[in-house]
Amino acid sequence: MTMIEFRNVSFSYDSGNPVVADLSFSIGRGETVGLIGANGAGKSTIMKLLLGLVTGEGEITVDGLPMNRQNLPAIRQRIGFVLQDSDNQMFMPTVYEDMIFGPRNYGVSKEETDRRVDDVLKCLGLQELKHRYNHKISGGEKRMAAIATILAMEPEMILMDEPSTALDPVNRRTVINTVNRLPQTKLIASHDLDMILDTCQRVILLAGGAIVADGDAETILRDRELLEANRMELPFCLQGRR
Amino acid sequence: MHMADALLAPAVAATMYAATAVTVGASVKTLRKDEATAKLPAMAVTSALVFAGQMINYTIPGTGSSGHLCGGMMLSALLGPQAGFLSMVVILTIQALFFADGGLLALGANCWNMAFYGCFVGYCLLWRPIMRSKLFGKLGTKAAGRVRIILASVLGCVITLQLGAFSVVLETSVSGITELPFGAFVGIMQPIHLAIGLVEGLITSAVLVFVYEARPELLMDVNTGDAVQSKCSLKTTMIILAVVVAIVGGGLSLFASANPDGLEWSMFGNAESGYSENMGLDEENYGVSSAAAEVAGSIQEKTAFLPDYAFANSDSAAGTTVSGLVGSAIVAGIAVLVCMAGGFFRKKKAAANA
Amino acid sequence: MDKLSQAQSELREMDALAAEDSPVHRLHPLCKLLVTVCYIAAVVSFPKYDFTGLAVMVLYPAVLFQAAGIPVRTCFYKLRIVLPLVCAVGLVNPFLDRTPMLQLGMVTITGGVISMVTLMMKGVFSLMASFLLIATTTIDSLCAALRKLHVPSILTTLLLLTYRYIGVMLEEVTIMTEAYKLRAPGQKGIHISAWGSFLGQLLLRSMDRAQELFGSMLLRGFQGEFFYADVPPCKPSGIVYTIACAGAFLLARLVPIASVLGGLFVG
Repeated sequence: MTMIEFRNVSFSYDSGNPVVADLSFSIGRGETVGLIGANGAGKSTIMKLLLGLVTGEGEITVDGLPMNRQNLPAIRQRIGFVLQDSDNQMFMPTVYEDMIFGPRNYGVSKEETDRRVDDVLKCLGLQELKHRYNHKISGGEKRMAAIATILAMEPEMILMDEPSTALDPVNRRTVINTVNRLPQTKLIASHDLDMILDTCQRVILLAGGAIVADGDAETILRDRELLEANRMELPFCLQGRR
Repeated sequence: MHMADALLAPAVAATMYAATAVTVGASVKTLRKDEATAKLPAMAVTSALVFAGQMINYTIPGTGSSGHLCGGMMLSALLGPQAGFLSMVVILTIQALFFADGGLLALGANCWNMAFYGCFVGYCLLWRPIMRSKLFGKLGTKAAGRVRIILASVLGCVITLQLGAFSVVLETSVSGITELPFGAFVGIMQPIHLAIGLVEGLITSAVLVFVYEARPELLMDVNTGDAVQSKCSLKTTMIILAVVVAIVGGGLSLFASANPDGLEWSMFGNAESGYSENMGLDEENYGVSSAAAEVAGSIQEKTAFLPDYAFANSDSAAGTTVSGLVGSAIVAGIAVLVCMAGGFFRKKKAAANA
Repeated sequence: MDKLSQAQSELREMDALAAEDSPVHRLHPLCKLLVTVCYIAAVVSFPKYDFTGLAVMVLYPAVLFQAAGIPVRTCFYKLRIVLPLVCAVGLVNPFLDRTPMLQLGMVTITGGVISMVTLMMKGVFSLMASFLLIATTTIDSLCAALRKLHVPSILTTLLLLTYRYIGVMLEEVTIMTEAYKLRAPGQKGIHISAWGSFLGQLLLRSMDRAQELFGSMLLRGFQGEFFYADVPPCKPSGIVYTIACAGAFLLARLVPIASVLGGLFVG
């Protein structure tokens, strides 16, 4: 069953050069897909298109709902987006208040919201963070709290933009393990190919706004020639250094 | 130019709070709810930036000193006057609460002196008319726009700072805090703030010109074209400014002529006239003198002019003073004891916990 | 230490103080806010020569500092901002107002000296009171109190959002200042050639940040409303505290307690 589908989607900014050109792909429910490509390949634009933050040409459907004005709230409720800079995501005073922001805005009752918050925090082992202030928690804690904020919305799909940047190895590993435990459909955009290898079964490689390769993660990430032709390189764990 | 609580009488503080509250209410109403919520992130992030940006030192060429940014003008050029005003109110509140810059009671006055003039007067009377005028060339030409921004920022900062400084003097004087005559106080405050305003205006214009070059769409009322005719044209601004200058100037000169010493009074000079003025004021209290002299034998004759309103409910002013001083000493003693007791209990608790 | 790191450490310190626990911290924020305003209003309303009446008001901060377990010295360096202005205004008083008020041995104390001292006391006392308020109350509970007073929610939300981003912005400005200093040794501040671009660059970046921030709000269904954690209702003890304090301030303002107290000893 398909979760999202792009059919002949194009998008360009005012300047004219297409950022994304005639893009078609689909992602099935429960899949974890890595989105890789050089800077400016179109990763962020695909995410923005999927969230309705920008509108392009072509058809996008999310969980069977075509992307349009009426469906936008329903679509956004189904997709959780973890931003690259957690500071931009965690704007409320405390972690708790940030976690209730999404559910309460989508009309979930107060009791149900509180139950979700406690469940999510327990599941991620972050109970201790609940009443902490967003401006006083560490970078690693902030990233985990941002994921918790999204999970409290109980989305069916999670988008992540560079979830492992600026984290120390232990925090990075925590995020990877968390991602692997989440049952939702996931689309992860990153330059951290080792993390993609650890989390994704499928990889979409982009270049110049078009799909260059789409397939099994192991196969694509082991293809040195393909990666290097597209301004990428083998994941460190596959480079065979001593 | 943050006012401190101590410089304001409660009635003046309350008046200024009321004025600020009305402006906040009007601003919130003007920024209709959906527009305001859409603007909130930009307002929050830019006010946080202005707060931090005011701590940057800008070296003034040729001098050893440094200048700072003028928040009100910049925020309203980016966000519009209402949103700019609310952002300034928030900045001033945070400064008062967390940095003791200004006070809780003086917040209303500070918002008025800095935010109201900076945002509404600076924006509506200067920024908008100048940016929409055809001064220095056609609308839409970069060079003309640049000069207009510099003119509007410098004029805006200078004029709004003058108004703010004048209000500080007015509020302090009305509160009856300082012995400094009104004229002398004005004579000190205005020139200082003229210099500050000039520098702040130049820094602000430098930042705004940069934004204009990079992303002109971020600035309000820039390149809006001829289609939008502003309600308040440059001509009206000139007329309003002229009237204000005439009123203020006229008032000042009247004051100066009625009180010839007023403007010449420097901070440390001419105490003699101050003395005689005080004597004149206290004539009515002459009767208190003899009782005072009897109770405390060593007190000089001059004590006769002791104003009794300072020591309420007393038959003998000097007697009250002595017992008052003793009482104050006792109070101070109690305060010290409270502190010591607190320290003692804390140590005990710490010891118990350890 | 420069202003930026000073501001950062002050914010951290106030946060740490407000996070502590004491009977004062547990009081309802609205009660504390009202008492603080009453106190400052009472303090500044004392006549300019009423040194002895004002002296009694020291008891409120003294007791509160101890009850809240906050070291008094933490608030003293904050005086550096308030005192210069108050002093500048107050220092001229002894020169202009030379009416002798009191003779202590050989020293004549003039009205100007008394009014100067009273003015400084007013400055210090009102500063201590607002310091105690924010050192025992977190900004979000203070905003909850303001909402109870029907302050427009746009303003309280803006206050919280701004406070949230002040740390982020201070950090960014600090990084840029350091980067500037490293490449411009010996300069005291930003050179005129970089006046515009220094803050301008940051401003542009901040606008992008605001855009992304708004996006993240919209994605979570934002429709103009913010939801905050519940603030527990005001307990009777809070109401008693408020009334008792306000009454005490009024009493101290109307009755010359120090004189009465001293009269018992002097006769």
